[in-house]
Amino acid sequence: MLSRNFRLQNVGDLEWLKKNYDFSHISYSIDELVVLDVTRGEKNLEDFCDSLKLLTDGCFVPIAAGGGVNQIESARMLLRSGADKVVVNSGLYANNGFVKELASEFGQQCVVGSMDIKSSADGQYQAWSENGMKCESGPANYWIERIVSDSVGEIYLNSMDRDGTGQGFDLGLLDLLPDRVSKPVILAGGAGNANHLSEGLGDSRVDAVATANLFNFVGNGLMEARKSLVTNGIVLPMWDVQLLERHLSAARVNGDKAD
Amino acid sequence: MSKVKVTVIDYGMGNIWSVVNALKYLECDVVVSSEPAVIEDSEILILPGVGSFRKAMESLRELRLDEAIIESVQGDENKILGICLGMQLLGSRSSEDGETLGLNLIPASVEEFLVNDVGTNKIPHIGFDQVTSQAEAKLFQGLPESPDFYFVHSFRMLPTGLTGVSATCRYGIEFLAAYEKDNIFSTQFHPEKSQTNGLMLLRNFLAV
Repeated sequence: MLSRNFRLQNVGDLEWLKKNYDFSHISYSIDELVVLDVTRGEKNLEDFCDSLKLLTDGCFVPIAAGGGVNQIESARMLLRSGADKVVVNSGLYANNGFVKELASEFGQQCVVGSMDIKSSADGQYQAWSENGMKCESGPANYWIERIVSDSVGEIYLNSMDRDGTGQGFDLGLLDLLPDRVSKPVILAGGAGNANHLSEGLGDSRVDAVATANLFNFVGNGLMEARKSLVTNGIVLPMWDVQLLERHLSAARVNGDKAD
Repeated sequence: MSKVKVTVIDYGMGNIWSVVNALKYLECDVVVSSEPAVIEDSEILILPGVGSFRKAMESLRELRLDEAIIESVQGDENKILGICLGMQLLGSRSSEDGETLGLNLIPASVEEFLVNDVGTNKIPHIGFDQVTSQAEAKLFQGLPESPDFYFVHSFRMLPTGLTGVSATCRYGIEFLAAYEKDNIFSTQFHPEKSQTNGLMLLRNFLAV
């Protein structure tokens, strides 16, 4: 399992994650899970799908998965391994109708367009692909506009400058969006505390915020952050974690009596 | 108590794993099948679905599952739960990706959310949203008031004039969130993605 903190630190494998976090419990603090295969070079999709299955076992939130998705069949494999949506990044830039094909196969809502954006030395933003290794020519807003109008269901904007720093989102990315975006925008890269999340959600152009930092590195951070957002008036669903258990044990008691 | 046996209909397009994951959590004996004979004989069916209506109907027809599903639920012995696209497929028709006929187990047609109806809301309708359920709805027994469920869809059915509405949701316009009539059940949202609320709803379906 790789965190994206400070250029991909290896924080531990899946066993480590299962041991250190009761993930199915933590999942009550999130509304969606994004799992990315960030292996550089040759990726092993089958291994990734196996990990995805293990990770999502007992976890009942929507799951978006990706990393190197450039074929319909790899998307299908992810969708059969626990993913509800596929995250496409580098595949967005090829002018080969791949995104349209994905949408026509699985529905537009199934495709998350993920863009890594970085500011260059002259202060202009640019879009990067291939795990942040390849700079796409032209200004970022050109690509954002093009990709927003392609067959993606959601747009995931990640600031490479802030990713893993915990210093807060780069709200400047939002100025790169076309005037009225009809698709949900997820802001990512840089959140380090609840205030950052709140700041992101407070911008009317943002529909959701993503964080890897809090979840990976601060003990109970995610649960506390969620509570604090709700206290501050941000509308989020709160879950009765014991709902089913209570019901089942009540049913057991009644069943015993009936016997 | 012996395990409840549930058949998840596999036509190559659903988020099969997620649904199976939830059913296993509920200690069901899960069969994933694309065999018409298996489906005709299954007491409890789940029709999941992610994707386009036209492609899904084509797959169902190709595998001869359309007839098998109808055959299976014709009597009252077997029951079915359609989820998301699976709910829409139970409808009469859809205009998604060209005009296509559905399985016609729910007498309602499937249309895209209109920009005029949803106002400033975005399409697709994605995320957790609260639904309003009917007090007597079997699927919602034991659930909190206005429970949250996870939605992701651009097309919807409307509750207008429909018998069997068990819950509605408002997204600019009031649309059909859940349906139950005799042995036909369905949800526009994903119970398998809706934390404990969803698990509870699935359990209610299994227990009906």
